[in-house]
Amino acid sequence: MSTAMNFSSKSFTPRPPDKGAFPLDHFGECSAFKERFMECLRRSGYESAACRQSAKAYLECRMDRRVRPPGPGAETGQASPQQLMANEPLEKLGFKDLINEKSEEKPEKS
Amino acid sequence: VVPGETALAFYRAKNPTDKPVIGISTYNVVPFEAGQYFNKIQCFCFEEQRLNPQEEVDMPVFFYIDPEFAEDPKMAKVDLITLSYTFFEAKEGQKLPLPGYQ
Repeated sequence: MSTAMNFSSKSFTPRPPDKGAFPLDHFGECSAFKERFMECLRRSGYESAACRQSAKAYLECRMDRRVRPPGPGAETGQASPQQLMANEPLEKLGFKDLINEKSEEKPEKS
Repeated sequence: VVPGETALAFYRAKNPTDKPVIGISTYNVVPFEAGQYFNKIQCFCFEEQRLNPQEEVDMPVFFYIDPEFAEDPKMAKVDLITLSYTFFEAKEGQKLPLPGYQ
């Protein structure tokens, strides 16, 4: 890690993530969603904004899953199941506009 | 990636050994000055993660670039920000200098 020798108003020190760490998806339960997202990125020339629906689907997948983490206790069932992602309202994750879009699209779908 | 919009990125890690590995990762942002605008909502970093022998996992990072980035004249020429992770084996008794986490 480089030591900061600048005196700008904001300096860079590694910061922990706002909502903590993602448990690893050991069993690849959300891999299909991840693949769809990556495919979307490749198609769109890696434009993140174009693939927010897929990103949202991936995060929803994580919030729906409950798995037992592997390792000691997994076989005996002692390790308590954990979510791949704590439930968060989608608006708080920056998907507010996508939620509104979805409800507008629904009547148009055949 | 549009400043202010949340974005998702994936890394992949593999444990090529025949023993489980407990790893921990930390990150770096280049260019250095862009790091102050990089906000992680959730990622796999700073916590110990276990990888079983030969296991390969996807490691997501959910983040956004602070919209103030677009206002900073020093960032005007920056159109590429690189986020990198170093994932290394956690040793018994080793304590990463975690930035007030946990």
